[in-house]
Amino acid sequence: MNQQTNLMAKKGLKKPSKSDRNLSWFMVIPALVIVAVFIVIPMIYSFSLSLTNMNLLKPTSTQFIGFRNYIQLFQDEIFWRAFWNTILFMTLAVNIEFIIGLFIAQMMFKVTRGQGAIRTAIMAPMMFAPVLVGFQFKWFFNDQVGLVNNLLYSLTGDYQIIPWLIHYPMNLLAILVAEIWMSTPFMVLIFLAGLVSLPTEPFEAASVDGASGWQQFRYITFPLISPFIYIAMVIRSLDLGRAYDLVRIMTGGGPANRSEMIWTYTYRLAISNNRFGLGTAMSFITVVVSFAFVIFLFRQLSKSLQEVY
Amino acid sequence: MKKLLFLGMVLLLVLSTSTVFGLELGRFDGTTIKACFIGGGDYEKIYEKFIPEFEELTGAKVEIVYKGNGFDIDKKMKIDFASGTVDYDVCWDHTSFFSQYLDFLEPLEGYFTQEELSDFSQKVLQYCQKNGHLWQIPRHADVSALHYRTDLFNDPENKKAFQEKFGRELKVPETWDEFKDIALFLSKPPEIYGTQFAGKEEALSGRFWDILMSHGGQILDENYKPAFNGPEGIKVTTMLRDLYQAGAMPPGMVNFLWDDVAGTFANGNIAMYTEWYGWYSYFQNPEASKVAGKFDITRQPKGDAGIHGGWAGAHCFSVTKSSKNKEAAVAFIKYITSYEPQLFEGQIGYIPVRNSVFETLIQEAEKSTDPLIKKRFELMQIQINEDFTPPPIVAEWIPISNILYPKLQAIMLGDVEVEEGLNQAAKEVALLMEEAGYYD
Repeated sequence: MNQQTNLMAKKGLKKPSKSDRNLSWFMVIPALVIVAVFIVIPMIYSFSLSLTNMNLLKPTSTQFIGFRNYIQLFQDEIFWRAFWNTILFMTLAVNIEFIIGLFIAQMMFKVTRGQGAIRTAIMAPMMFAPVLVGFQFKWFFNDQVGLVNNLLYSLTGDYQIIPWLIHYPMNLLAILVAEIWMSTPFMVLIFLAGLVSLPTEPFEAASVDGASGWQQFRYITFPLISPFIYIAMVIRSLDLGRAYDLVRIMTGGGPANRSEMIWTYTYRLAISNNRFGLGTAMSFITVVVSFAFVIFLFRQLSKSLQEVY
Repeated sequence: MKKLLFLGMVLLLVLSTSTVFGLELGRFDGTTIKACFIGGGDYEKIYEKFIPEFEELTGAKVEIVYKGNGFDIDKKMKIDFASGTVDYDVCWDHTSFFSQYLDFLEPLEGYFTQEELSDFSQKVLQYCQKNGHLWQIPRHADVSALHYRTDLFNDPENKKAFQEKFGRELKVPETWDEFKDIALFLSKPPEIYGTQFAGKEEALSGRFWDILMSHGGQILDENYKPAFNGPEGIKVTTMLRDLYQAGAMPPGMVNFLWDDVAGTFANGNIAMYTEWYGWYSYFQNPEASKVAGKFDITRQPKGDAGIHGGWAGAHCFSVTKSSKNKEAAVAFIKYITSYEPQLFEGQIGYIPVRNSVFETLIQEAEKSTDPLIKKRFELMQIQINEDFTPPPIVAEWIPISNILYPKLQAIMLGDVEVEEGLNQAAKEVALLMEEAGYYD
């Protein structure tokens, strides 16, 4: 007997009849059709395109070339640089946003007066379009007239021209700062929702038992909001895997491909260079990696749900 | 009765043909011309002013179905052409882009008489043609001139020090070799850098092309094989690298685009550089620019081949092959590129491509208290008629540029040696051209 049957028996439920099972399949058909039309079929189509030499300017002379696009990408030094830059950027951004977001959410949760105004202020960066944020931070990090170098000059009195957007890893760091500024509020929003929904009894009991603030956070708050943490991380990871606007505006993936990311390179291959088949192959690799990442995070999520509930 | 008949015939004639600026446009009552145009800023003023007049004259309606910047339009058109979803009759086009779209455009030579084309700069028209066909009609053009700081060039201390160091007078460079010497000499970073270029994307590849052709070099030879890694290419790239590594260019330059270079010059940090004409009013505005009244312009330096650099481009209009209203679309192009609209664009800052418009603008400029305005128009006219040279007219120009500019950046940053970097780029370009079927 499997776990599900045991659970049903425990709750006094009968095993569903064949007609019930048929009905349940019938009920999910609309969802399956939607998934097929909007996800599965486009994915199959895009995979089939990735096996061709499709050129945007010569669509009628498209030919099937097997896995040649994938082989070419795996041998391409810039692809691997873009790939590892994206992974590094995603890992750093998600984790830093998580830490800062949790800290801010925890602080905001404790605030008793003016919470509405503070929440609005904290959310402000989310309201800007990434393109605008990109221009703003590109100007901040401009080596000649930028705010950062001028600020350093004011603080140290030493006029140093630091080309933030030129040298690796400083250029990645500059993009990271912009990304964190723009997207941490999203984490705050999710974590705050999690904190508000927590039951008060465990905290009262812990207080009676003499648990410190840190102990309450470590052993009660953190495990209870971990499902929220995983959901926020999944959403942000997928967003960051597609990082384009900020990078395009701030560095364009350069100079000399130093800050190249998967999507800046995909855009260059597929649209600027017209090599749509090759660009599609590159996007497909990204999709597969993202799937693997999401599956991993969802497994962690279901584990944490089992622990909590 | 005869009078009525005569009046009726006149009315019929007026209704059936609409003549404006000497053009026979025809009547297109009930026809809607759909358009995909460049938008934003001053680009749209011409539509606002002249489309209603065209509609009144011809009875046609003009509906702009898409507006975007040049690169967005390029992306949209390529996707529309590839997927067969073109729903416009007239489209924005450009000398750098049009050769990508030839399969999807209507050749225009049959719609224009020699007389109608005679007022346009023939040099610009030359680059609107390929494979014996005329694919686009120019609207306005762009070419760059050397912008230099008169206060730095006329400074007695600079003059004296230059004379002592080089044994010749400090004057505006006439060759790229002189340009390099002066750029290195005038550099006092971080306050003043000798020069700069927009340092990424087509902006960098284009400047490379600018100097390369003035030395007699080519991006591709007559067999479409890469030729930019020859002695001329090595000389240009060495100059770029030397100037960058010696600190005669801002360190962030390899991430600069047009607005960045203009901002740095306006901030007073640059002694001289090649720049498009369009920034003039910004540079001369004392509220926004520290160099207002302190700069002059001249033709670009010559290279070893005795040629002035002239990387240029022209915004144009084309008719799509799938258009059902080709006659009306051509009439619209004839109207919007005629004398009055071009004069209007010239007056708001764009470089016209009709010589008659230049003559009017130069006459008007004679009344101005700013002598640079007249000089600017005269220089523009010379450059449009003599120096105007777009990059290679091949569909692969942008992909070639995308291979070339990261290598140029890598060379300037010291990641790779000059010859090695250019050879790597040449190898990739050869592969690109081979895949595109040029060597079959």
